[in-house]
Amino acid sequence: MFVLLRHLQRVRREAALPPRRGARSLAIRHVDAGSCNACEHELTATAAPQYDLQRFGLDIVASPRHADVLLVTGPVTTRMEGALLAAYEAMPEPRRVAALGDCALGCGVLGAAAELAGPLDRLLPVDIRIPGCPPTPQEIADAILDAIPASQSPGSP
Amino acid sequence: MSRPRRLRAAEPRQGVAAIEVEGSRWRESCRRELGDGARFCGAYASGDRLARRWSALFADGPSTRVLTTRVDRDQLPTIVDLVAAAQWDEREAHDLHGLRFEGHEPLRALVDHTVDTAAWTTPVEGRGVHQVAVGPVHAGVIESGHFRFHVVGERILHLDTRLFYKHRGLERAAEGRELPDGLRFAQRACGACAVTNAVAYAQACESVLGLLPTRELRRARTLLLELERLYNHLNDIGAACAGIGFASGNMAFAALKERAMRLNKELAGHRFLFGSAEVGASRLVLASQLAGRTRGQLRELRQDAAQVWREVRFSGSVQARLGGVGVLDRDSAARLGAVGPAARASGLEQDTRSDSPGLWYGSSFAAAGPEARTGDVSARLQVRASELESTFEVLDDLLSAPIAADIASPSGPKAPIGVARVESPRGETVCVLEHDLFRLRRLHLRTGSYANWPALAEASARNLLPDFPLINKSFELCYACVDR
Repeated sequence: MFVLLRHLQRVRREAALPPRRGARSLAIRHVDAGSCNACEHELTATAAPQYDLQRFGLDIVASPRHADVLLVTGPVTTRMEGALLAAYEAMPEPRRVAALGDCALGCGVLGAAAELAGPLDRLLPVDIRIPGCPPTPQEIADAILDAIPASQSPGSP
Repeated sequence: MSRPRRLRAAEPRQGVAAIEVEGSRWRESCRRELGDGARFCGAYASGDRLARRWSALFADGPSTRVLTTRVDRDQLPTIVDLVAAAQWDEREAHDLHGLRFEGHEPLRALVDHTVDTAAWTTPVEGRGVHQVAVGPVHAGVIESGHFRFHVVGERILHLDTRLFYKHRGLERAAEGRELPDGLRFAQRACGACAVTNAVAYAQACESVLGLLPTRELRRARTLLLELERLYNHLNDIGAACAGIGFASGNMAFAALKERAMRLNKELAGHRFLFGSAEVGASRLVLASQLAGRTRGQLRELRQDAAQVWREVRFSGSVQARLGGVGVLDRDSAARLGAVGPAARASGLEQDTRSDSPGLWYGSSFAAAGPEARTGDVSARLQVRASELESTFEVLDDLLSAPIAADIASPSGPKAPIGVARVESPRGETVCVLEHDLFRLRRLHLRTGSYANWPALAEASARNLLPDFPLINKSFELCYACVDR
C-alpha cells in the first residue's frame, strides 16, 4: 500500500500539473449512445494521475438528476435514443449538452442509416463540441474546463 | 460430402476450407466436426431472402473449416444441443435475418428490442424471487447495456443480458464497399480491440486476394497487437481494483496505462493505434534508434507494472475480495465456448496466438495461465498479470531489430472465402468476409467479447448482486464490438 502511494506520488510529481483555477465545480453525466468505447477510455483517463480533472471540481455523477452537463458519446443509435432523452429530461436546469467525439458530432465512421437516430444535434441542443476520434484526455479536459464559467451563469449561451 | 484432408498451414497464414453441406446433413456434418475435436468458433447468415445461406465455423489448430448450407424457407435445424456456444449466433440470425432454428426452444430474442420482456428473459419463479433491472445507462463511465438479475435477497439466481443498444449496423454498412475500405468498419467496431479487428480483417482480405504477409508485415502486426494487449491488460487489472474500491491500485494502473497509450502515440501516431494496420501493407517504421529507445521505455514500464502488481497481489484486504467470486468452472467454460484470459483462468489452454502463422510468435510461444486455475476473479486477474510478462517479452524481442514498412507478396493462392482468427486482449476474434470480385458482400465479426458474454452470465449466477460489477470487470468485455 505504501509502495503504491509512493509510486503515485512520483507519478504526480513527474506530471507537474498546472495549479488549480478558482473554486468552482461541474457535475457531468455520461451517456454512451453507441460509441466504439474509445471515447469512454479517454474520458476515464481524465481521472488518471496525469490529468486528475477532479482537482477542478469536475466529477462524473451517477444520476442525471445531479448533473449540470450531459456528456454524450457515439452516433446515437435508435436503440439508445429513448434512454438518452430520458436522461436529458431528468436533468435539472440550467443544463448543458456536450458532444464528445466525432461520432456524436456526426462525422465519424457511423453505421447503417436505419440504425441511427443521430447525430446528437438533431435530438438535443449541443452546447459543447469536442471533436476527435477519440479526443485525447487533454482535449476533453480543456473543453470541459472552458465550459465551467458558462455553466455558472445560466443566461449566457 | 467428401471428407477434406486436414489442412496444414505451411504458408504464413491460417488455412481455410469451405465445405458445402446439404441441409438434411447439417447436424450430422457439424457433429462430425465436433467429434473430430474441432472447436466451434461462430456462425453467420449470408445472402438475401431469395438465396439465404447459413455457415458455421470450426477451428482446428491454425485451420478453419467453414460449413455452409442453403437455407430453405428460412428454416433449418439447430445445433445448440450439440454445441451450446452457438446459442447467441442462432438467436442473432433469427433477429437480424429471420432464420428459424428447429429444435432451438425457446428461441429468445437477442438483438430485437421490440419484443416484450417475457420474450427475451428466462422465467425464474419461486418464493421471494424478484427481478432487478439495471441499465442501459449505468452509474459510471460504462458502455450501454441492460442487465436483468433474477435474485432472492442479494443472491443472483440467473442473469439475462440484453445488449445491442449500441447496434450501429456496421456489418451492413460495410457491404458493397471495396475490399480494402471495409477495414475501417471492422476497426471502428471497437476502440479497445481496434488493432485485433483491423488485423483480422486485413488477414481475411489478404487470403481472398492471394496476398501473403512478409516477415516485416508479420512483425509489425504482432508488435501492434501486443501494444494493444499491453494497454488493455493494464486497464483491466486497474478496473478490477476499482471494482472493489481499491483506489490506489486503480490509480496506479491508470497511470501505467496512460504511459502505454502515450507510447502508442509515439510509435504509431495514435493512442488507440487506429489506422496502423491496413490491407496488404504496413507503414510502421521503427528505425533502430527509436526501437532501442522504446525498448528501454518498455523495460521501465515492465518494472513499474511488476512492482504495482506485487502490491495488489500481496494486499490481504484486496485478495480477500477476489477469491471464490464469480467462478466459471472448466466444464462451463468449454461448453459455452469461452475464450481468452477468461477461458485460460478456468483451465482451458486455448490461445489463438499459438495458431497464428501470419504473425510473429515464436514456436516456443505458450499461453500463460494462473497458478491456480480456479476460474474466479482472482484467477482472471492473475492470467492478465502473467500475460503482461509474456507481452513485454514478445515486445522486447520484436524491438531488438528495426521494423521497416513493407507490402504483402502477391504469390499466394486465393481462398474462396476470407477467414482470419486473431487473439484479442479478450480472446479469439473471428473475421469472415465474402466478396463479389472487388466488393464486400458480407462482413462478419465475432469478437472475443461476443464469445464470452454467455460465460459472464453463467459466472455471475450464485453470487451476490453487489459483486456483479467486480465479476463484470474481471471479464472486462466490450459491448461495442458485440453490438456492432
